[in-house]
Amino acid sequence: MEINAFFKKDTVSDGGKLMAKQRRFAYTGLAPILLYMGLFTLFPIVWAVVMSFFSYTPIREGSGFLGLGGANPFVGIGNYIELFTGTSKPAEVFRLAVKNTFLFTALVLPLNLVITLPLAVILESIGDRFKTMFRAIYFLPTISSSVALVIIWSYMYAPGWGMLSLMFKAVGLIPPKSWLQDPNTIYFGVPLAMICVVIAHVWQDFGYNLVIFVAALQSIPKTLREAARVDGANAWQEFWLVVVPLLRRTVLLTSVLTVLSSLQVFVIFQLLTRGGPKNQTQTMLLSIYENAFRFANNLGLSSAMSMILFIIILVLTVTQFRILRAEWEY
Amino acid sequence: MTTPTRKSPSFGFILGKSGAYAILIVGLVGTLLPFFYIMVSSLKTEAELRQTPPDFFSKEPTLKHYTTILTDKDIPLARNLLNSIFVSVTRVFISLFTSSFAGYIFAKYHFKGKNLAFGMILIQIMIPFQVVMIPSYLLVVKLKLIDSLWALIIPAFIDSYGIFMMKQFIEALPAELMDAARIDGASEFGIYTRIVLPQMGPPLASLGIFTFMATWNDYLWPLIVLTSPEKRTIPLLVVWFQTQHVSNQGLVLAASILTLLPIFFVYIFLQRWIVDQATQSAFK
Repeated sequence: MEINAFFKKDTVSDGGKLMAKQRRFAYTGLAPILLYMGLFTLFPIVWAVVMSFFSYTPIREGSGFLGLGGANPFVGIGNYIELFTGTSKPAEVFRLAVKNTFLFTALVLPLNLVITLPLAVILESIGDRFKTMFRAIYFLPTISSSVALVIIWSYMYAPGWGMLSLMFKAVGLIPPKSWLQDPNTIYFGVPLAMICVVIAHVWQDFGYNLVIFVAALQSIPKTLREAARVDGANAWQEFWLVVVPLLRRTVLLTSVLTVLSSLQVFVIFQLLTRGGPKNQTQTMLLSIYENAFRFANNLGLSSAMSMILFIIILVLTVTQFRILRAEWEY
Repeated sequence: MTTPTRKSPSFGFILGKSGAYAILIVGLVGTLLPFFYIMVSSLKTEAELRQTPPDFFSKEPTLKHYTTILTDKDIPLARNLLNSIFVSVTRVFISLFTSSFAGYIFAKYHFKGKNLAFGMILIQIMIPFQVVMIPSYLLVVKLKLIDSLWALIIPAFIDSYGIFMMKQFIEALPAELMDAARIDGASEFGIYTRIVLPQMGPPLASLGIFTFMATWNDYLWPLIVLTSPEKRTIPLLVVWFQTQHVSNQGLVLAASILTLLPIFFVYIFLQRWIVDQATQSAFK
């Protein structure tokens, strides 16, 4: 509607005929695209917000717009109160899921950085031909189908004869009876199944940060490093005093991106562990999916869950934009 | 060009060249071993797959699992493969058109409300799919698209990230080219098709490749909107396989290898480019 208003005003008010023609083209070209986007993105987001204040099940015929109201009553912030303090099964599982999602993220981020940063530094120091080859292979899991990767990892973790069990036996260790299904094996407060998922996810995802770090290292001007050498710095000092400070912004940015993507991991949780054992790998996204599509519960409650996830993601995205916008030059 | 003496010393200096390569190769083995293990396991006979402890390599390698998948009438592989190809290719072409066209308008035209409109695009980039997943599903139900391949295509006509990316590239094209075409009597749409598009080869190709890979690997949305076996895309088929054929692991392995192959094939030829583009996109 707004678009039509602009359309009318501008074509009439402007003097230049050519400019008016160009403007008309811009409006007629963009209007369908924006309307379409409105229908398939902006409308759903508003719908999701509104729905999170209702108790809504699609099979009940509501009275109002979109079936909200009537048999699907308005409950105010009832869904949110339920999620934070309620004792129903979905609410209790969701609170566990929030905890697990943060635990997963808190484990993935350091593990990822501990692997990718040194590997990037080493990779950057070798010759160009091998660099491209290594980089291409490390990146391979990130472009692969998550579903296929989950099947690969379910073979790695197969109890008894899986590759990890065999490797444990080969070096004289006793492998766990079950990697993914034993709720009682817990190391430092982290269930074994969660550790397994973290490892599989980092394996799948590390190539992404790696290539970003390699690119960042390459973009550090050689002159800065040479200047440090001329001033008498050895390789170690050059690395810690020149390279590391210049990498800080990239590390910060990739950390935010890694956290953002960790919060949205789905396939591996749904297929490798199915949230188990005893909900030890239940995550927010898996909860939303299962409540909405598997158990077909109150969709209002599921929408409230996705709003909570959205707020967390939004805060992080704003942080990411802040970092990107910050003045920064070598 | 960097000569050995100008090559800046870094970890290689401390660790020694061979140490650096040793670590890189360990990483390489760790990355490739799971793929490799599955590949060689998919050639094992059923007896070998059940054997404990298993041998790494098969003593009598067989392509039986592959031929079963490819020929068994009860497995709608060909149908599912066509579904995946149809959805991916259609989405690529539609999103290339809408992204470059909208990107062109945002890059080269001045009009009231442009910032507002572009703000809408940016908002869409910031909204993760999971947030609109439930209402999108209800919308697809209302539009009677449920269990139709169009449910994967129609909601994805507009790719806001693609628009953003195309705008960046088109902004760099010189305005003189367009003015010259205007003087020659070209229409505004003609400028887009005849002046802008021909110069957008590389960015269009990267957007196309990424859209293709994302669509090919997509799992959550197809899982929600598709129900009947003949409508499935390849990832759904593989998962269905995994639940149906617990007793026949060879088939599951072969199916997952078949899922990976098309993407690997594209990657072999375009790896340098794909990696570079992925790196750049993180900083846009």
